Amino acid sequence: MIDLIAALQPLVVGAVLVSSARVKLLNRHARTAAQRTALARLIGPNRALPAYRLLGGVELTLGALLLLLPAPRPAAVAATALAVGFLGYLGYARRAAPASSCGCLSSRPTPVAGRSLVRAALLVAAAGLAALLPGAWPDALATRPGAGIAVLLAEAAAVVALSPELDAAWLLPLRRLRARLTNPLRGGSGLPLLASVQQVQLSDSYRRVAPLLRSDVREHWDDGEWRFVGHAARYQGRPATAVFAVPLTDLEPAAVRVAVVDDATGQTVLALAGAGRPAGPRLDVVPA
Amino acid sequence: MPQTLDRRRLLATAALGGVVGATGLGSLAPDAAFAAEAAAIEPGAPDPNFVEGRISKISGHLLLVLGSDTVLHSIRITDGTSIWKLHPTTFDQVAIGDGLYARGVRLPDGTLAADSVWVNIVNLHAHIAAVGRNLLHLDHKGQRIVAHVVQGRSAAVYNGTPAVSDLSLLRVGRHVQVLGAWHPDTNEIDIATVYAAA
Repeated sequence: MIDLIAALQPLVVGAVLVSSARVKLLNRHARTAAQRTALARLIGPNRALPAYRLLGGVELTLGALLLLLPAPRPAAVAATALAVGFLGYLGYARRAAPASSCGCLSSRPTPVAGRSLVRAALLVAAAGLAALLPGAWPDALATRPGAGIAVLLAEAAAVVALSPELDAAWLLPLRRLRARLTNPLRGGSGLPLLASVQQVQLSDSYRRVAPLLRSDVREHWDDGEWRFVGHAARYQGRPATAVFAVPLTDLEPAAVRVAVVDDATGQTVLALAGAGRPAGPRLDVVPA
Repeated sequence: MPQTLDRRRLLATAALGGVVGATGLGSLAPDAAFAAEAAAIEPGAPDPNFVEGRISKISGHLLLVLGSDTVLHSIRITDGTSIWKLHPTTFDQVAIGDGLYARGVRLPDGTLAADSVWVNIVNLHAHIAAVGRNLLHLDHKGQRIVAHVVQGRSAAVYNGTPAVSDLSLLRVGRHVQVLGAWHPDTNEIDIATVYAAA
């Protein structure tokens, strides 16, 4: 069994390297992707793109050799060294430039995660196994096709599961489906305070007393059909409270009323009813 | 408590009562408002009336706050100070270790007499990585943040329309902006408002 697994590793490692090279050589966002990687910090921003392309060339060459040669031991040894280099580079990137992107299998900005390191370690193991027990993958597949395909599928699943850049293709749709089936955010009801504050801030009453206000919302309470929102205010140098009355059933800013009450005497120094509906043409939107 | 109820009854009656003192609005013209802001800050200079940092000590109504630039500030909470901690709340909810933003007026001794204090407030641009029961897992620049939905407090603003309590239109993978209250020294927040496209 171990001979079969070892013989199939050039196919797995070769496919991963060619796929990685495709991103570095053919993707039109390669320049941006290179600048986002830790290469820009390691060797300088000007040399990041040439180094990124060069790495893509090396990956393509090694990947092609692994896929095409019958028992590619030297290529497997070189791939092992390259994978060890990846592991070291990703470890460095994670410590030295945690905000940098992996730049591995996609040009999508993907921080170096623990999964990326495990994937690099898996690549080291796979390439190392191919170097220790070289074999021809077409022969192995022809001899035991069932077991061979099972091994390949398992390894491909492991690579995909360990690739954060591929999450958008399978993990997010699965999570979306689960959310659609279970609807975990259900249950919100009632008129949030923010809706009333937005209504207040759009109102003519607020615009007229705004220069008096000193604080953000200090208190709020509901009473019958009304919600009251209180701010600290100053009126002619005296501490006061500006209280807005917002109807809970009418979302029109024009319905907001306000009073400014002197804190010391309790006397209403200013009160404004809503300004009524604004004059001028009004656009009524009728559902089609 | 009866005092609070009496006060609220007084304020409610004032707000719903008749129109009083409309002539007093003469001083509220835009010119007067802008004139009051004449003491502007020089460009690039720190705003003397703003403080941010974490509370290191609370004595009476005085907060000692260590700013992120390691400057120590003292902030006085007055009867007129508004305190936000996920929602408008009271001074007894403020704890040592909380982060805050405060705005107010500098007193001659350097203390900031706070008009408004926002405790543990955070403003994040993130992607929704996953949703759970009353929970959003946010991906914020590669870091995972757990955002709790607080029933009766959390609101959503979809496409800039008025806020609603229903967060069920949020979708995994979408970009959101979240205003919330941080749980100090964790990667968790409570959601105040989430802005999203729907």
